[in-house]
Amino acid sequence: MLLEARDITKAFGSFKAVDAASVTLQQGDVLGLIGPNGAGKSTFFNCLTGDLALTAGKVFLEGHDITNRPPEARARLGLARTFQVPQTFEGMTVLENVMIGAFLRTSHRAEAETKARAVLARVGMERLADAPARSLGTPGRKRLEIARALATEPRILLLDEAMAGLTQREVQLAIDLVRDIHRSGITLVIVEHIMEVIMSLASRVMVFHQGREIAHGTPQEVTSNPAVIAAYLGTRAAAKVAAGHTPIELMGGPAT
Amino acid sequence: MRRTFWLAIAIVLVVAYPWVFSTPFQQRLGALVLLYAIAASAWNIIGGYAGQVSVGHVVFFGCGAYAAMGAYTHFALSPLVGLPAGLVASVAIAAVIGVPTLRLSGHYFSMATIAVAELARLIVTNTDYLGAAVGLSGPTVPRNVFDLSFISALPYYYLFFAVLAVTLAITWWMTNSRMGFYLRAIRDSERAARSLGAPASRTKLYAYMLSAGLTSVAGALYAMMFGFVDPDSGLGLLISVKILIMAALGGAGLLFGPLVGAAILVPLEEISNSLLGGKGAGLTFVVYGAIIVLIARFQPGGILALINRLWAKRKTKQESKQGAADAS
Repeated sequence: MLLEARDITKAFGSFKAVDAASVTLQQGDVLGLIGPNGAGKSTFFNCLTGDLALTAGKVFLEGHDITNRPPEARARLGLARTFQVPQTFEGMTVLENVMIGAFLRTSHRAEAETKARAVLARVGMERLADAPARSLGTPGRKRLEIARALATEPRILLLDEAMAGLTQREVQLAIDLVRDIHRSGITLVIVEHIMEVIMSLASRVMVFHQGREIAHGTPQEVTSNPAVIAAYLGTRAAAKVAAGHTPIELMGGPAT
Repeated sequence: MRRTFWLAIAIVLVVAYPWVFSTPFQQRLGALVLLYAIAASAWNIIGGYAGQVSVGHVVFFGCGAYAAMGAYTHFALSPLVGLPAGLVASVAIAAVIGVPTLRLSGHYFSMATIAVAELARLIVTNTDYLGAAVGLSGPTVPRNVFDLSFISALPYYYLFFAVLAVTLAITWWMTNSRMGFYLRAIRDSERAARSLGAPASRTKLYAYMLSAGLTSVAGALYAMMFGFVDPDSGLGLLISVKILIMAALGGAGLLFGPLVGAAILVPLEEISNSLLGGKGAGLTFVVYGAIIVLIARFQPGGILALINRLWAKRKTKQESKQGAADAS
């Protein structure tokens, strides 16, 4: 088992944003975290990366307890992430942004640069290497987030809405990139609103609602689960599904 | 190649300055510019590159100054012997202050450093061993060359120039190392930097300690040149502000920014002081305030950033002209 979260609870005051959620991740998994807005998936995600301190529960990486390790220590152990709102290093070039990631595995500048250039080529941004990062638009920034994370040579990559704000065409390109990353042996955790992305990428899905896990399974299993449909669309829609409508259609997915 | 050329020209100008402008006032002015450039360059490491705006750097400045004068007053040693002692003490103080305060973000860090600086001034003002309100003096008559007590400003000028060169070399080396990259990343987004494995707290602390050590050297040199230090000249908050404004005006986070800032502000202050006499002291504050407002409003990157931008613009214009000529 690569990553395990056991009974994670995160409370803000008396409000439990995540309530006793557990998950296990095997090498090669693509885990999708979905749920309506405010369901707690981003909080859960930030508990895994170490950005938030847990109220209760434990996180294990290959059996080692990393619950109290800060984000930088988790990065060293092979956990990388992207941010929902890109946290670009504005004062740097695109290349330098990626070099920050590459510096995790080497202290030599030249080596970090060589590696960063290779990663930029891999994500198709080599021509932008010397451009100031602040000149990038949303799609470029989202891609740069992924490039930076890849440069740390992660074993697990956590993508926080990496495709929000992209056009249909850009989403397709991003899906191809994520597939390519998965093929190279990196285990993925994806938080995503766009159903199409989850359906085409995730091997397993975990559904959050009001801080609790209400369902898990393959994308097909989950989207036909009445509790999930009720959480997303209300109980009346769940009744409609029972009456023969395809649930994925109601949830904004492809009408196939 | 072009950069080496400009650097060589700048070095020649700095070396030649006291021979071209050879009155005692001008030589002293030149020495002061270089001295403040050392302090501002040291501040630049934590304030500019790491973006942690310390307003309490006078603590380290004073630490160096008091160590140099203390070595003479209490042990009859050369003030030069006090310099390494002040440096070690400054680095230690930075470590003690830095661990709790560098966790604070933005303005809170600045405010904490102000508090520490004022505390240090009050403690020293009430400590007889450190001369209390009167301060400590250096040798009135130099016993030998190691007392570094000269009538002419010329020896100080070249001494400060050498120390500035070392300070800038250390800064340059740092910016090209992993530490320099991490500092810039932390300045832009600490959260992202940490997620990529940058140990933010430790990196900032090292930068703070390095900056403190270099600032104390500036303080020691200052005390040697003036031959004395008291709570106002060694620990006054205005010195912190002065250092900060020089770096910000020239260009915080740029290697030569603090030098440019010092070359503008020090003459401005000296000339206004000599014109207005004792009444000018209050006016200096007004000028500083105005400069802070102007930098913040129009050019947060400082003068050097403005020049760099204009330079880049000219270059692209030339290139596009070149391109058009090639096409026709």
